[in-house]
Amino acid sequence: MKKLIALALAGAMVLSLAACSTGGNSAKPKNTTINVVTTYAGNDGNAQNYQDAVAAWEKESGNKVNDASATSDESFKARVLTDFEAGSEPDVLFFFNGVDANPIVSSGKVVSIDTIRKEYPDYASNMKDGMMGASPVDGVNYSVPVNGYWEGMFVNKKVCEAAGVEIPGADTTWEQFLDICQKIKDAGYAPIAASLATVPHYWFEFTIYNHLSTTTHNVLPTGVDSVQGKGWIAGLGDIKTLYEKGFFPDNTLTGTDDETVQMFIDGKAAFLIDGSWKVGGIESATDDIDNFTVTYVPGMGDRKSTDIIGGLSSGYYITKKAWDDPDKRAAAVSFVSYMTSDEMVSKFAQVSATALKKGVTVDESALSSLAKDGLKMIAGATGMTGAVQDQVPTEARVPVFDGMPKLVTGEVDITEAVQQVLDLLKK
Amino acid sequence: MGLLQQYYDIIAKALYYEKKGDIMNSVLYKKKFPLLVFLIPAFIFMIVFLYIPFFQNILNSFKNISGLGTAATGYNSPWYSNYVEMFNDANMRVALRNTFLMIIATVVFEVGVALILALLVDNIKRGAKFYRIVYFFPIVVSATALGLLFNLIFLYDKGMLNQLLEFFGKSSLTDWKSKALAITTMMIPVVWQYVGFYFVILITGLNNIPGELYEAAAIDGASRFQRVKFITLPLLFNVMCTCVVLAVTGALKVFDLPWVMFPKGMSDTWLTGTYMYYHAFNTNNVDYSSAIAVLIVVLGIILSKVVNTVFKEKDY
Repeated sequence: MKKLIALALAGAMVLSLAACSTGGNSAKPKNTTINVVTTYAGNDGNAQNYQDAVAAWEKESGNKVNDASATSDESFKARVLTDFEAGSEPDVLFFFNGVDANPIVSSGKVVSIDTIRKEYPDYASNMKDGMMGASPVDGVNYSVPVNGYWEGMFVNKKVCEAAGVEIPGADTTWEQFLDICQKIKDAGYAPIAASLATVPHYWFEFTIYNHLSTTTHNVLPTGVDSVQGKGWIAGLGDIKTLYEKGFFPDNTLTGTDDETVQMFIDGKAAFLIDGSWKVGGIESATDDIDNFTVTYVPGMGDRKSTDIIGGLSSGYYITKKAWDDPDKRAAAVSFVSYMTSDEMVSKFAQVSATALKKGVTVDESALSSLAKDGLKMIAGATGMTGAVQDQVPTEARVPVFDGMPKLVTGEVDITEAVQQVLDLLKK
Repeated sequence: MGLLQQYYDIIAKALYYEKKGDIMNSVLYKKKFPLLVFLIPAFIFMIVFLYIPFFQNILNSFKNISGLGTAATGYNSPWYSNYVEMFNDANMRVALRNTFLMIIATVVFEVGVALILALLVDNIKRGAKFYRIVYFFPIVVSATALGLLFNLIFLYDKGMLNQLLEFFGKSSLTDWKSKALAITTMMIPVVWQYVGFYFVILITGLNNIPGELYEAAAIDGASRFQRVKFITLPLLFNVMCTCVVLAVTGALKVFDLPWVMFPKGMSDTWLTGTYMYYHAFNTNNVDYSSAIAVLIVVLGIILSKVVNTVFKEKDY
């Protein structure tokens, strides 16, 4: 008898639980949690903006974000690609749109903008399609960009003043720049703050650019004798010359980027080539922001000094995994739309490039003098091209990036190093 | 303090039971079933997470894998090409040379300094516990934190050492990470970190030497130095052998601290461990990295065998 009662009670409990469950689903749509991975973390200038935006979207939509953002470096890239390979990709990913994303695009694990627009016609409609950063795999747009970048030469004004030299401008040629550097060196300062050991790529880009042009720079060499191949060899030769003249800090082959940037902030070096993201970094590192400005990297040949490097190299992807999940599809689209709205892009981009049709809305009165100088530089640019390194996979960069110390000291021949890059590209 | 004492006790007991092994065997291992119950899960764990990846790694070293987590696109042509490349790779030669230097530094300085410190601490009556904690302390600090700490000490501009030298009148800054000084700069923190580890092992060995021997020697008129030479060192020989084996195999795996201080083999400071990591995580050359890992294992086995043969333990 007891067994019968127990069985009846258990049955009633199971039925009531099942009823609760069914009733819950039909009564109210459940809120969704989406997994998001971005590079807005660590010391990224927009890390806090991102956190605020995520919190605001969660409040507005009622959905939740399971955030696994991390600082952008090679380990981060490897982790993202491994996650896709292992089938544990996020629902929304903020990632590079160049060759780094080729494996995830080729595998069909991200959804194209056109596919999304079939169901959500307004998706990314505030962006210029031609500037969104089409995939090198098939020329199709998969990601919606937020903030782009430009690269320019930051200047410590007091160092230039102490050395009695003019700050390089739109008309300064490469030869004049070398004279300026010599005077700064003679005055006891390091002309250029750069760690050739860890971050040689800014100088790599501009010295190569100086031997090419806006139209030919962002094209991979087909051989060491091609136009680009010769440009690469000549550009790397210029870095070697700068090193031999003693224009880099004494510890350029052993110091880190943090160390050389600190030298620049401390008034021990005059020039620093870096990206638009450095504006915020310098603002937070100094009490005297008016002592710093940003200008064009002096050019030569077909490249005018006012021809700059910039573009939109990252964007938000929606993965196929999220797209195929009826619960997550709408949440993912809503999240990306929120993060790429005009208002949000303006907040994130500030002085950097964007793909917005209407452009950014920035309150200039709230900007520092350095940020304003950045805007002026962009406004005066006569041409812009993307960084060619974005087309070179990590493993192929090794001979000229990691090998830079040996190139400038002459331990490795520059032509051989460029040939090695080309061989690795063919692989 | 309590934890440290427990650590000493465990090592002391382990050394004691090693000698009493036969007695333990006869009593404890009569019933086999409970033994299997406890051993099989650990065995399965080892198979899944150590031996299968190990053999897979050997297989990977023959394949073409262009990124972590990326499937292989087939076998290399020829399949042993990574091993041929290793012989022609100048950085690999640098890594092997530096690793052997690291082994020598580890044996001579880590074990050597630890032995001297252990002998000194064993001979003092007051403050022995204090010194044990002080020398053991670097072991409990993470290698990454130590790397950052030593980065600040050896920093070119405003580093502790350069500021001290400036204070004593040196006019120019020294680049401690330049090629000429890089190996020394890298090895000092590594050696410093692990002295405490061997110190603990040696001091436990010293504690196991019966006090009566010293008392008898003292009555016979032996000086302190003679007691160390004729009692301590011979009776500590087996423990020192263990330390040397651990030091040699440990030096082959050193990675974290050198990587934090000298990323990407800066100033030719490659070690086998850092070079393997570099190819796996920085250049996406996973198959070559696997081949280096195989080489590290082979070297480890050969060197352990050589060290075991040279420093053969003695029965007393």
